[in-house]
Amino acid sequence: MATYAEMREIYDEIRGDFRYDHELNGCLNCGVCTATCPSAQFYDYSPREIVQLLWTENVEQIYDAMQEKIWACAQCMTCAARCPFKNSPGGLVMIMREVAIKHGMQSAKDVLRPFGRVMLKLITTGNQLSPDMIQPDHFPDWGPNIQKVEGDLKTLRKAIPVRTLQTVETAWEVSLKTSVEMYTIWEMTGVLAALEAMDENLFDVIEDFIDEKREEYDDWLEEQEDD
Amino acid sequence: MSENTNQGQGIAGHGSFFQDTNLSRDDALKATDWVRKHVDKRTIDLGERMDDIRDHMWELEKDGQIIVHRITDLHEPVDVTTLFGWNKRVPTTKLWHHKSCGQCGNIPGYPTSIMWFMNKFGAKPGEDYLDETDQTSCTAWNYHGSAIGNVEALAAVFLRNFHQAYVSGKQHGFELGHFFPLVHCGTSFGNYKEIRKYLVESAELRERVTKILGKLGRLVDGKLVIPEEIIHYSEWLHVVRNKIASEHQTIDVSNIRVTVHAACHYYKMVHEDAIYDPEVMGGNRTAVGTSMAKALGAQVIDYSTWYDCCGFGFRHIISEREFTRSFTMDRKIRVAREEANADVMLGIDTGCITTMDKNQWIGKAHNQNFSIPIMADIQFAALACGADPFKIVQLQWHASPCEELVEKMGISWTQAKQNFESYLKEVEAGNIEYLYNPELALGGR
Repeated sequence: MATYAEMREIYDEIRGDFRYDHELNGCLNCGVCTATCPSAQFYDYSPREIVQLLWTENVEQIYDAMQEKIWACAQCMTCAARCPFKNSPGGLVMIMREVAIKHGMQSAKDVLRPFGRVMLKLITTGNQLSPDMIQPDHFPDWGPNIQKVEGDLKTLRKAIPVRTLQTVETAWEVSLKTSVEMYTIWEMTGVLAALEAMDENLFDVIEDFIDEKREEYDDWLEEQEDD
Repeated sequence: MSENTNQGQGIAGHGSFFQDTNLSRDDALKATDWVRKHVDKRTIDLGERMDDIRDHMWELEKDGQIIVHRITDLHEPVDVTTLFGWNKRVPTTKLWHHKSCGQCGNIPGYPTSIMWFMNKFGAKPGEDYLDETDQTSCTAWNYHGSAIGNVEALAAVFLRNFHQAYVSGKQHGFELGHFFPLVHCGTSFGNYKEIRKYLVESAELRERVTKILGKLGRLVDGKLVIPEEIIHYSEWLHVVRNKIASEHQTIDVSNIRVTVHAACHYYKMVHEDAIYDPEVMGGNRTAVGTSMAKALGAQVIDYSTWYDCCGFGFRHIISEREFTRSFTMDRKIRVAREEANADVMLGIDTGCITTMDKNQWIGKAHNQNFSIPIMADIQFAALACGADPFKIVQLQWHASPCEELVEKMGISWTQAKQNFESYLKEVEAGNIEYLYNPELALGGR
């Protein structure tokens, strides 16, 4: 359990985010946000509660909400569209999630674990989803009709009449230069550092991949110069 | 209002017992004038509370801080009205396809249908539109799902992709700014609008990302490039809908009962930018999606949970799947089936279509023995204009019973499937049909 000073520090970080004053303008406790919230129908989660905790600077319960509740939000932003004060509870939740990541909270690590494949794909290729990730055996609950024409995935993708989409391991073909530019963005914005703090094994795999791709790109550049 | 032709089916959330007053448009406006003046939230917002971020963007450009990628006459824009009556210019040609990872990976008939229509309009690939490999995902799905990421990273990704859109024409013999970005994904659209707002408002954020973009060689005259408008493909479809219906429609869809699910990140994020049209659902819903179905002459049927999200949840569809399945079945599919007896649910975004399409079969485990075909507005429009259900609309990737809709539209699913299976043999032999010269994707001409 964190000390009060640690919890206060976490709150101050949330409060210090430049978006905070966009997302929280007051609260009438009207509950429109919760009434319209999909997650409130399924979880012990209320956007009104999140707003109230922040509005009243209840640092202990803010910390408590960051252990689980904030991860229930579906990020649909219905709350933001409805709020008469122009608050964005969903936006506040994102700030809280980012701070949870920065502080290496266990809740964030738990959430990230099933997200590993998406993360690996995204960081290394610049695509979040690929055809080979959504094969019938990965999602048996999607039923037997998930693919209406039998056939080899590569051939089915080749039958898409758009050149960039004839891929299996990425949603579209991303040029090597583009991916390498993306790695620079990840590094310079602290995304890779956050990932390392969250999941060291995943980070190691990603780092190796990035090194390999950069070498490949450097080789290609040298080849161009030689030509 | 007299524009409501859905007799007894209700509009604007009044439910199935809604009765049309049969007032003329002018009389209806007169009758509701006081209410609109006094309690219409939009009027209040417009007059006193809402700031148009685009005004600040122009000021920044005037101060020499940024370059605004302009929509010019070259892009043949059409003016539309957003929530508070503000003007938005939607370019109709010279477009740079900002693809969606969820669509390309999972619903490829989405982007193919968009390009197919552009070709139908006589667009010249490489001049009137460009699809290339120098583009990444917006990364916002990951951000909303895992929180690994931050505003700075999202902003840098946005600016990198949109810089590429700005300079992409050069390689094809055109001026800077020739191609204007057309964002296919609703998640990207909402994210980019939010990020643009932060970029315009925060000098500190601009300073930080300028360093990154500088390192990438992605500045123009040392400045960031920000687009005049963020345009979603459904907005493009909205402004070309009548052209589609009048010049290209070949199949009568007046027997088709359509429900529409508008994507949350289209109209609930930076909601002041979403298109509304008094001629579409009385202006009480965002116009996109619905306007296309109406232009084609389909029966657009209302349902009470139109405002609900689909259940995608970003992380939920992966790791909280019971929520996703339950929400989509109970709040969307069941309602559209029971209240509207819909033949199809049309979406305008990636995550919604994936969620609603893929999570119906599992409902049988709870005795939820109902289903509805799910597809995008553009796919439905393509079918109505004679596109091949497999080669172009790519319905083979959908799990929901799209074959039922196709058959009801008078297209033989069995025959189309047989034709496609024959085509697959051609593909294996290397005889592939393309919508554009594949070299264009790689920077060639």
